[in-house]
Amino acid sequence: MFESFPEVCRSYGVKADVRSLLLLQKAIDRNLIHTVGDIYSFFKGSLVKDPTDIGPYTQAFYEYFVGVDVGAGERLNDAIARADTFKDWLEDFVQADDRRRDMELDDLINQFLDEVHTTTYDIKRVLDGEDILKEDDPDMKDDDGGNRADGANAERLLEKAADYRFVDLEELRKRMEKVMEQQTRDHQGGSHWVGTGGVSPYGNGGAAMGGIRVGGTGGGRMAREVMGDPQYYPVDIDAQINDDNIDATLATLKGVIEETNQRYLDIPLTVKEGVAQGGLFLPVELDKTEDKLQVILLIDNGGYSMDYYIRAVQALFKKMKTRYQHDLETYYFHNTIYKYVYEDERRTRKVPIERILSKDPNYRIFVIGDAAMAPYELHEGSIIAWGRISEKFKKSVWLNPVSEKHWHITWTTTMLRKIFKMYTMTPRGIEQAILGMNRKKR
Amino acid sequence: MAETSLWNGSDKYLCDRELAQAFHMARVLGMPLLIEGEPGTGKTELPLQYAKDSDIDLFVYPVGSKSTVDQFVARFDHVKYLRDSQVEVLNAQRDEKGLSTKLSTGGRSTDQLKDYVMQGPAAKAYSTPNSVLLIDEIDKAPREFPNDLLYALSHRKFVMPESGDVIEVSEEDMPAIVITSNREQELPTAFKGRCIYHYISFPPPETMRDIVRKHYPKADDDIVQQAIDVFYQLRQLGLERSPSTRELLNWLKYMQTFSKEETIERIKKLDGLGALIKTQDDVRRVQRNLMDDIKKPGGASRY
Repeated sequence: MFESFPEVCRSYGVKADVRSLLLLQKAIDRNLIHTVGDIYSFFKGSLVKDPTDIGPYTQAFYEYFVGVDVGAGERLNDAIARADTFKDWLEDFVQADDRRRDMELDDLINQFLDEVHTTTYDIKRVLDGEDILKEDDPDMKDDDGGNRADGANAERLLEKAADYRFVDLEELRKRMEKVMEQQTRDHQGGSHWVGTGGVSPYGNGGAAMGGIRVGGTGGGRMAREVMGDPQYYPVDIDAQINDDNIDATLATLKGVIEETNQRYLDIPLTVKEGVAQGGLFLPVELDKTEDKLQVILLIDNGGYSMDYYIRAVQALFKKMKTRYQHDLETYYFHNTIYKYVYEDERRTRKVPIERILSKDPNYRIFVIGDAAMAPYELHEGSIIAWGRISEKFKKSVWLNPVSEKHWHITWTTTMLRKIFKMYTMTPRGIEQAILGMNRKKR
Repeated sequence: MAETSLWNGSDKYLCDRELAQAFHMARVLGMPLLIEGEPGTGKTELPLQYAKDSDIDLFVYPVGSKSTVDQFVARFDHVKYLRDSQVEVLNAQRDEKGLSTKLSTGGRSTDQLKDYVMQGPAAKAYSTPNSVLLIDEIDKAPREFPNDLLYALSHRKFVMPESGDVIEVSEEDMPAIVITSNREQELPTAFKGRCIYHYISFPPPETMRDIVRKHYPKADDDIVQQAIDVFYQLRQLGLERSPSTRELLNWLKYMQTFSKEETIERIKKLDGLGALIKTQDDVRRVQRNLMDDIKKPGGASRY
């Protein structure tokens, strides 16, 4: 059942696979799923792994289950208003009572969503309470299950209910029917107790019997609020870093901090103390602390195109510095390096690259530049200088704000890529750069 | 059978429907519930209040940058073990020399390996059927911790180091596991995949009023309204550190010491701002932007 739902989800960028369906099966067996709203909540809990997934997930759900296709940037309201399922429903809804013609569109949509989210495949719930009392055996015990809700009976109820209200939601009903077959076959107990959950003729709340009436009135409206709320739309991690995704980048940067959590046996101290105690060696254990992080930024601030990125990069590392204490040194260069880099942005204070090369090899080097220059600028001397840096500092990467597809055009970029691992200056690129760095042993 | 009924919050804790559903789902399916959200949205409170309200044993593991799965499950204290065995040697030597004073091993015996197994909250929770296990602020953990944890949690069985004792729990008795995160670091996808996920968004003003009411049932409506207006206005400013629910509650606590008129006057003047705003830059920004606005009645708007 719902075999193609994971596919629809994936088309919206929400990760789903066959395991999601197996888990759904488990949830059905455990009596968690009774309404479409339940399915919405269930998949929300199990598929959504980030607040930015909520928007795409909701889109996928509505497309698949309700036949509402939400366009990019469209509000769910508008999408529903133009959906066929809604129009059909509206026709019937208005026909049933003429006064409803005067209702506001918003209220109508609310009503529609409420009904969709409370749609049960155990259709007894939408019949009125008296019917249930008549048809149901009040002496039935929880543990002996709903034996009498055999296939034929359930089928009949479904038809009745479909006549009653849901005949228009053809697509939805078909899917629900499938679930229902599954349910009556595999889990007899469900239909009885679920069925009574909502109207509760025995005074057993649906919830108390394990029937969480998810969805309900809240579900649909919540879903509606989600759509179009920028908070729930993903930060584009393939975009160049900018003010919007700087925090996402920061999160990936945290990976450069090496934290260890081990304790180690301090042998010299143990021996020393042991000798002092006359040969009684009581081991001394100390915390291993290695959370220091050393970073050197080498920034090309020569090119006219670099200005914007420089600010973004500096903001990024500054934020990082305040959040996680570490050594951060920034140097500047113009297009490429020869013998010197500069300490200040205006490139007046020279620093010989020997000074960088004399640093601890555990420093991580981030070179930030477009690597594009006139071929004569990147002469042998310059290539040697870069080579010495990448040789000495194993954890060095080049972040390039130019889109990857243009890299092969420039000869100098191609050359520098032979020396440095080059990544795009996007949150994703930075994340990969850091993963790459961490894989290297010093 | 573990307690799996739907829990809707208590008189001290307002649990919105979505969260209640997610929590219920997690317990029924025997999966951990991962809650993310801004600080002050009540992530940690959920398991605490649930345990208190339902009278269930609670085990808490606060995660820090030095957390290991050893601490979480159990670790064998080799150092203590070595120390005690040395002490035994020493005591034997003393015996030979006829000395009566002995070093103590604190009731531990080196023959009993289990004396040296330090059980962590996970092992304790697993040996207490139907309990609650809170793993707080997992985003503070070192990178490898979530994956190690995943491995530990996906088996309903722990083998104690060295002693080989097994702690096992049936699926029915699984503790309700709640994991919280402030999103300071992304968690591995595989880890998230094994959890039921819920993101708590910051409550709208209406809900905030209910939350305040749960904490201060006697507070005056006007005062609460006034304070909430100011509070959401502050949150709109885009401060470095936006005030959270906790700060609002503290502020109101401070305000309760005055009479009603005086309190409203004080709220308007942003008296006791220190309870809400925690950095110097933010204080300056608030003074620039808000001091004039707030004095105007009705100047407050929704966040």
